[in-house]
Amino acid sequence: MSLLGTTFHDKRFGLAVIISLLLGLAACGGGGPAQQMTNTPSGNESAEIQTGAEEASETQSGRGGTLRVAMQPVVNIDPIAISSDSEVLVANHVYDYLIDIDHLSNPVPRLATGWDISDDGLTYTLPLAEDVTWHDGSEFSAADVVWTFERLRTTEGAPTFDLYSNIASIEATGDLEVTFKLTKPNPFFLYDLSDNHALILKAGTTDADTNFNGTGPFVVTNYRPEERIEMVANENYFIPEQPKLSGLQIIFFNDDTVAVEALRGGQIDFTMRMSVALFESLKEEPGIITMDIPTNGFDLIRLRSDRAPGNDPRVIQALKLATDREAIFNVVQQGYGALGNDSPIGPLYDAYHDETAIPPARDVEAARALLADAGYGDGLKITLHTPDTGNRPDLAAVLKEQWSEVGVDVEISVEPESVYYADDGWLEVDLGITGWGSRPYPQFYLDVMLVSDAIWNESHFSDEEFDSLAAVAGTTLDEKERIQAYADIQHLLIERGPIIIPYYFAQFGAINDQFQGLNLKAFAGRTDFRTVTFSGN
Amino acid sequence: MRAINVSSVLRELYARRTTALGTTIFLLFLFVAMFAPLFAPYGLNEQIYSDARQAPSTAHWFGTDQLGRDVFSRVLLGAKDILTLAGLGTALAVASGTLFGLAAGYWGGTFDEILMRIFDGLLAIPALLLALLLLGTLGASRNSILIVIVLLYTPIVARVVRSVVLGVRSKGFVEAARLQGEPTGRILFREILPSVVPTLTVEAALRFSYAIFLVASLGFLGVGVQPPSPNWGLMVNEARPHVSQLPWTMYYPAGAIAIVVIGVNLMADGIKRIVRT
Repeated sequence: MSLLGTTFHDKRFGLAVIISLLLGLAACGGGGPAQQMTNTPSGNESAEIQTGAEEASETQSGRGGTLRVAMQPVVNIDPIAISSDSEVLVANHVYDYLIDIDHLSNPVPRLATGWDISDDGLTYTLPLAEDVTWHDGSEFSAADVVWTFERLRTTEGAPTFDLYSNIASIEATGDLEVTFKLTKPNPFFLYDLSDNHALILKAGTTDADTNFNGTGPFVVTNYRPEERIEMVANENYFIPEQPKLSGLQIIFFNDDTVAVEALRGGQIDFTMRMSVALFESLKEEPGIITMDIPTNGFDLIRLRSDRAPGNDPRVIQALKLATDREAIFNVVQQGYGALGNDSPIGPLYDAYHDETAIPPARDVEAARALLADAGYGDGLKITLHTPDTGNRPDLAAVLKEQWSEVGVDVEISVEPESVYYADDGWLEVDLGITGWGSRPYPQFYLDVMLVSDAIWNESHFSDEEFDSLAAVAGTTLDEKERIQAYADIQHLLIERGPIIIPYYFAQFGAINDQFQGLNLKAFAGRTDFRTVTFSGN
Repeated sequence: MRAINVSSVLRELYARRTTALGTTIFLLFLFVAMFAPLFAPYGLNEQIYSDARQAPSTAHWFGTDQLGRDVFSRVLLGAKDILTLAGLGTALAVASGTLFGLAAGYWGGTFDEILMRIFDGLLAIPALLLALLLLGTLGASRNSILIVIVLLYTPIVARVVRSVVLGVRSKGFVEAARLQGEPTGRILFREILPSVVPTLTVEAALRFSYAIFLVASLGFLGVGVQPPSPNWGLMVNEARPHVSQLPWTMYYPAGAIAIVVIGVNLMADGIKRIVRT
């Protein structure tokens, strides 16, 4: 009988050894899953597609190479419903925007060849590009644009429903011309026209959630959910000699570490969105070019201000005084990006960013005194919720240490991103860290995150003065007035905003050095592969 | 049955070189777990920003991590977390497993049959999977990790105990006790249990080493422990993105897991030999 026990133990020990090996493998960055990727049946198919594309490239001068991009899996493919970087990235190569945002955050023509704005700021007339065809061969016209924007602004529950509520009418004022009329001036309307969802669909499309019929630079040949999307160059793309690649593959990875290992191992050519540590680890890697750009994105530490303890302004002040932003920037971000000033209007916004708006330096004694005044002289215990992505767990660990010195006892709760955002939990918790992606203009953050009735007002901030300043900034056509309003907003948020923004992060990318001409964009999903060229063999 | 004498057991454990090594390792870690806060040079979340990302040196024996925390101190302080969770879990599992095993083996019949089938069912599910399922249901916390260890190991201990009881049940001295009309509790704990103890000791030591491994694995997967806990598994996980640049942040906690598991296994092996002779 005891013999039975022994053999059982031996098996269990074997299992333990296997688990330990697996643990070791995963710890080494999970070469395993990446290796599997090449063994899947689609490996052969993708090779075929690549060959086909190369044959085609012989007829088209200079076109060649297939770029394999690692991205998080795509859930939504209908442009009206997309939100993640990977979803936007896919749509951005199948469809076209009317107006694009370049890597310096300026609006540039795409399907619209330019724009004419009336003096009262209420009428926008956009001429459209000629010789544009849909992937199914039919011709593109102004009617498609009108249909698309009608869909975006009338579909209830769509993210664009509110955004475009200011549009009075959209008309086709010619075969290749559309005119937008607004109810009130919107200085950022060109940016709104380039909203992530505003990709032009063919009029009458009903199957955008299962099919890809765009005008864009690449044509989808194969979509395997949870695995990859394969595309070939659109031979009839309306911009001559674009795209310069003959093929594009978006390969889905759930884990940044694994994607980076796949890049090292040559199973993919390009990846974005990684932690500082992973990016640093790629810098010395031969055959790989790393790139980083500053962005307007940030990690937001926010305290609910409509109930205890955050409803006491002294608590907000104390936490701000307890935080050493510079240390956080240097240790958590290793100096990539820019130092934060507790407002979403970062230094990349040039004139809108006020360099004199600097939060007071760390002052442990003052913070202790404020907490004591607020009735927390014996200490304040609070749970800090944070997603497990990026450098947020590190940020949480640093905050715990810094705040412990003023008597705030932080209990960290690191949650998978899906749990953090599930059931709007992130809007409910008292203390949380939320990552906010980069946007080309700052008004977005104020309108969705900080005004009293904002849909994602996670700090439950409600301040009359702030609301009126935000309204002025968002509607005035006087640039000076807007700059002043933004400056006032920054000082106000430093003084009493229930938020701490310790840094604006950098966007990281790493690409195989056989590819050239890639410009990273602050919003990773809007990175554009049309001008990327391949010089390898 | 012979009585268990601690000093004689220790003497026997130190009679063989490998067993002596295992026992020494275990006692060393036990010492660290109990007294680390007294001699660890830094706190578990103490951050010296100017010392961040340093390789092992005389100032920081195991180097520092990306936040400037002393890895040596964290590894020392992490011993308590893992050894208490694993130790307490094992003790509870051995206790409940013994009760179930004694009862099932002694009474047999339908009760035994039903209990064993339930345990078979539990054993059929891979340990880590069951652990993740339970933690997902119970919510991840230290208490749920304890419950998981107990649920995972009770069936195994119970089966081992039962097998010994089945062998002893029909022995003369048990029959004699029964004929003398001794109460069942007395028969179970006074007459049968001593025969089970040697096997049980081996089993407990083995379970303990697996429990250490399980707690570390769960920490690695990030369930049940939250940063900045110095749980070795969590430390290995947190070091993952840094492995090519700050390899020491992974090697030392991973080494600690390996060494303590090997140590306890060697010791268990020694106990097995002593028990068999």
